[in-house]
Amino acid sequence: MSIRGKVAIIGVGLIPFGELFHKGLENMIQEAYMKCVKSIDKGFDPKDIKAAWFGQWSGGGMIGQGSREGTTLASVLGLRGIPISRLENGCPTGNDVFRNAVLGVASGAYDVVLALGAEKMRDKPGVESLIAAGGAAGGGILGLHPSWMLGMGGPVLQALYATRQMHQLGCTMEDYARVAVKNHHNGVACPYAEYRFEVTVERVLNSPVICWPLHLLDCCPQTDGAACAIVCRADLAKKYTDKPIYVLGTATGNDFKDMWDKENFIEMPATKFAARDAFAMAGIKPDDVDLAEVHDCFTNTELMNVEDIGFCKKGEAHKLLKEGYWAREDGHTPINASGGLKSHGHPIAATGLAQIAENFWQLRQDIEPVRQVKLKKGIALSHNVGGNGFGASSINIIGREP
Amino acid sequence: MTMWERERMQSPRPASPLYWRLAPTVYHLLGSKCSDCGQITYPQTKICHKCGSFNQKDYQLPKTGKVHTFCINWTPPPGLEPPTVNVIVDLDGGGRYVGLLTEVANPDEVKIGTKVQMVFRRVVNDSGLDFYGYKFRLVEEA
Repeated sequence: MSIRGKVAIIGVGLIPFGELFHKGLENMIQEAYMKCVKSIDKGFDPKDIKAAWFGQWSGGGMIGQGSREGTTLASVLGLRGIPISRLENGCPTGNDVFRNAVLGVASGAYDVVLALGAEKMRDKPGVESLIAAGGAAGGGILGLHPSWMLGMGGPVLQALYATRQMHQLGCTMEDYARVAVKNHHNGVACPYAEYRFEVTVERVLNSPVICWPLHLLDCCPQTDGAACAIVCRADLAKKYTDKPIYVLGTATGNDFKDMWDKENFIEMPATKFAARDAFAMAGIKPDDVDLAEVHDCFTNTELMNVEDIGFCKKGEAHKLLKEGYWAREDGHTPINASGGLKSHGHPIAATGLAQIAENFWQLRQDIEPVRQVKLKKGIALSHNVGGNGFGASSINIIGREP
Repeated sequence: MTMWERERMQSPRPASPLYWRLAPTVYHLLGSKCSDCGQITYPQTKICHKCGSFNQKDYQLPKTGKVHTFCINWTPPPGLEPPTVNVIVDLDGGGRYVGLLTEVANPDEVKIGTKVQMVFRRVVNDSGLDFYGYKFRLVEEA
């Protein structure tokens, strides 16, 4: 059953991402939420919120606190008395929290729902924080497989793909660097990005090797951040704003959880499953999408994702990138017009909602003119993929018309 | 720091039930082969990860294979000397194993397709307990 057009976004809010040592999780949550509420043009009474979903991946482990349940929002946002669930689904947490909020409205159970994601990634010093981020990346906790996660963090997992992409698809480290060049260029103009500087292919290739074939500037930074969106029944949206944006398709896809089960290392079936279901629900094709925020935790990942979503055939993304295809100014489905995770950083649960915020502003043309993408059909897509074997993906497609 | 972490630092103790439980997996390399679709799953499973079938037979992983993909990690976590070479190996006769290479003088020797064999080595030290398992070594060409 399709829920296309039944749910509308009336407001979004996010804070500039960064190393926010001066802000706790609660401060970030309040700021993002207050921005969101205040941004709703015709005014919004928070009492209208009837349920909330709280995205939180690290569960307090990275800030030395116990688990963070939905009650975090009940207290911090003054939302006692309504149902609030915490959701953790790896890197897609942000887009999946949004999906759950949308389903809450589409089911008819609630008229207005809040989706909020927040993450403190930087409080622990470098190595500790990276280990915490990689699960048991330090080795020593075996879990399921004797060498699973033994010396494996995000860069290792993605580098294992990157090596195989180069071998099988003919792309090069220069091609990976071009993704960084494009996304950092876009990020310079985005006030929410953490690293607002241009890079060149040479600079990326001369940056330290983190995990061959990936260099430092192939990796997205680990960052603090919070983002949220308020969704409501489509027929109520005009009460809050004259420019609601509608949810056309929403899906989550799951593949094998672990690396050793994967059939190959040039694609992520989780993304393909999510794309198949989201496009079917929206009743559109990849060609109908004006712009997309695509998970670029590492540069090679973006190329793989662009192919898996269906914007081009397998093995073509790096060739088209070289021709300038995915650029913000180009008009051929700009990818990561915001600057992506590469320049924003990746506060896991906030990332997907920040992508949705970017798409919301782009579609409403509420954005700095230099950043505005040319709209044709008024449809935008956001995508995450993750989990410790990149087995989970969530996609949301939104548009100007229901 | 959580209460759990604090307690763990004060009285280090190995998580022995986990090691004991994983003995068939770690030392005997026991996996499963699906009687319906042929998928090899490791560690052992009662349900095929690929097709969901309940018909699984024990399958012992072979110890030789070829590098399917690899990377050279210059930023491994504490306890591992950089660079580590992480590999995913296509085992001869079927199945895959994720692991580390050992005794690699020059990481540049490693390529996709390079022949490797498992060797028994100390893998990690958890709270004072040495833990052994398999790593891969390059096969010397005759």
